[in-house]
Amino acid sequence: MRRLLSLLAFSLVLLAAGRAETAARSAFVMRWDLDWQVAGGLPEKVLLLSLQGLANRTAPQLYVVHPPEFQWEITAPLFSFYERKHGVKFTELKTADEALTKFAGAAKGYVVWDPAIPATMNVALTIAGLEDALVVTPALIPLTEKHGLKPIDDLRGRYTGQSDAQIYSDAVARYWSRCSRDSIMLLGGHAGAVRQPAVADWGIRQKMFFHDLSANPKHPEELALAQRLLGELHPGATVFGWHSYAKDTEEQWTTLLSGYGLKMEGLHNLPNLSFNCQFTFTPGFKFTNTPHVARDAKLTADKKVYLSFVQSDSIGIGVWTKPGRGKLPFAWQVTMNWTKFSPAALEYFHESATPNDYFIGGLSGPGYMYPNHIPADRFPGLMKEARELMAVLDEHILEIMDNSAADGNVGNADLTKETVDRYYAAFPDVIGFINGYGPARTRDLRDTRPMISYDYYIDPRRPRAEVAADLNELIALNATRPYFLLVHVRESNDVNSLIEVVKQLDGPVEVVPLDVFLKLAASNQTYTTRYQDPADPKHFHGYK
Amino acid sequence: MTRIRRLLPLLLLLPLAACAATSPFEGRWRLDKARSTALDGWTAWDLVIQSAGSLVSLRHDMEWRSSRHSATNTIDTTQPVTLESFFRVEQRHMALYPAKGGRTTARAAWLDAGRTLRVEADTPIEISQGQANMRLYLEYRLVEGDQALVLIELHSTRSQPLVYRFTRVTETK
Repeated sequence: MRRLLSLLAFSLVLLAAGRAETAARSAFVMRWDLDWQVAGGLPEKVLLLSLQGLANRTAPQLYVVHPPEFQWEITAPLFSFYERKHGVKFTELKTADEALTKFAGAAKGYVVWDPAIPATMNVALTIAGLEDALVVTPALIPLTEKHGLKPIDDLRGRYTGQSDAQIYSDAVARYWSRCSRDSIMLLGGHAGAVRQPAVADWGIRQKMFFHDLSANPKHPEELALAQRLLGELHPGATVFGWHSYAKDTEEQWTTLLSGYGLKMEGLHNLPNLSFNCQFTFTPGFKFTNTPHVARDAKLTADKKVYLSFVQSDSIGIGVWTKPGRGKLPFAWQVTMNWTKFSPAALEYFHESATPNDYFIGGLSGPGYMYPNHIPADRFPGLMKEARELMAVLDEHILEIMDNSAADGNVGNADLTKETVDRYYAAFPDVIGFINGYGPARTRDLRDTRPMISYDYYIDPRRPRAEVAADLNELIALNATRPYFLLVHVRESNDVNSLIEVVKQLDGPVEVVPLDVFLKLAASNQTYTTRYQDPADPKHFHGYK
Repeated sequence: MTRIRRLLPLLLLLPLAACAATSPFEGRWRLDKARSTALDGWTAWDLVIQSAGSLVSLRHDMEWRSSRHSATNTIDTTQPVTLESFFRVEQRHMALYPAKGGRTTARAAWLDAGRTLRVEADTPIEISQGQANMRLYLEYRLVEGDQALVLIELHSTRSQPLVYRFTRVTETK
């Protein structure tokens, strides 16, 4: 009953979010290039992102289409989806001047940042959300003033010679008390000559505090400030954006926020959230996954190799729109939080799914987090949220990833027994769990629910002949049949090339959908039960 | 094994310059990635070879992103040795790991008038189904001119050889 009530409440939230959709059937679109050079196209894009965040505060009015080469390849297909399924009539704005002519009224003025001091961009973006300001470099002041806007603040000179820790400490003192406690913007990612802050519109709309504080213990002052901010967020809050490529690692930041029971929602260049969040599923739409086996079915594995492919990294930056999808069974890890922030994107993926596309929940919970570090008292609440999201999305398999002790996509990606116990307790109704990013060796089987880690990770740059040889070597070494070979397909791998790889595999090999794979794995445990061994090497030991 | 333990300190102290006079194998060799089988999970590999009598040490200086890992296999060209922490340059995107507590037996010999070093090893590997044995056959071959070294690696569990080409690292490199 409690679960039903939770689902009902969640549905009401979605309905409420959908109200804006019916009120806005016309909008504007800009088509951007790939010039994110600080000395080139970045300043104007930052100006337009601040404009987008303000213009979309009360209604979805401004959308940006990025070139197909942009990391988030879905902006053009999603644009068409809005036209087709939501009846949005877009008018194109070709220049910043045109965009300002249309939307300058959404701003009360402008704030000036200094490209020579990168952190001032984040401080200016924080101010933009709080003061309804556009964010400009000195060179763009005439353009904004042409549209009647006056200065609200000017950061030139304020932070000259200061470290990032000093700059953000000052910004915290000035602005943090007025910023959201439900979310915070980690606007890092590309650093140096190129920056890609395409998620900034969302942070402005939601009045977030922007920063790129380091989670690297080599930067203790920045780390301490980041810890303070995370500690002051509401339970279950979300960290949007991405870590700075110049300061620390994805593993360090995700470990850090997981320790506070917070969720990561990447990336720093995730575009259009201020627009996307205001649409919900189209009337009558309901997620129905494509099961390949009945939920209560019991399968029996034959004496052969069963191989299953999983694409994670959230489907939006994967190979969804590339040729070949549908030719092989693929499981796609859905960023479940998009149910809240980008429901139309999820509906787009769903409507274009083939029978071979199967959606699974992830990553580790209701957002990206490392479960070995989630505080025990936060785990049940977070996983309750994950169960509710999975129910909405008709997902029955959870993907887990904990790279806190790994070094990128190699190394220790295992779960402690305590963590595994918690998952089994929190998800009694799933078909099973999968674990890892790179290969891992956490495996279990309890009642009908296996937990299988990736035995192989396909690097997109690895020659296909070597991929086939690697897989054949795994098949040769794991000589007991059935052998359950779970393969992680990294974003941008080409499905057609995987078809050729499969043709080169030795022995009786069957590529099966993930739900079938786990059902078969439940029938005959030829894999060991294993958890993270304290003696296993760790690249990073965490913060405690 | 006892003999190796006794000679190891001597081997470690042996200056590279002194070794260079005794064997053209000795010194630091750097992987030529463009002319080698694709290396997965490592971004750089230096092979440092030293010898003392019948003992040959093969040190692997590995890099991955900002990580550094160094591991040495010391073999004897006159008798088999048992190694408690044999280092295999694994493809790190495969779920294959050195078996915990596993012992590797290695045999080595000079071939082709000292221009080829052959190493054979039986090493236990942790796999998802438990443990398996991998038989390795490695030949380190000096290339004409002694400025390049080719490592041909065969696995009992892999049909294709892995071929790595190294170039000698001079002091100025």
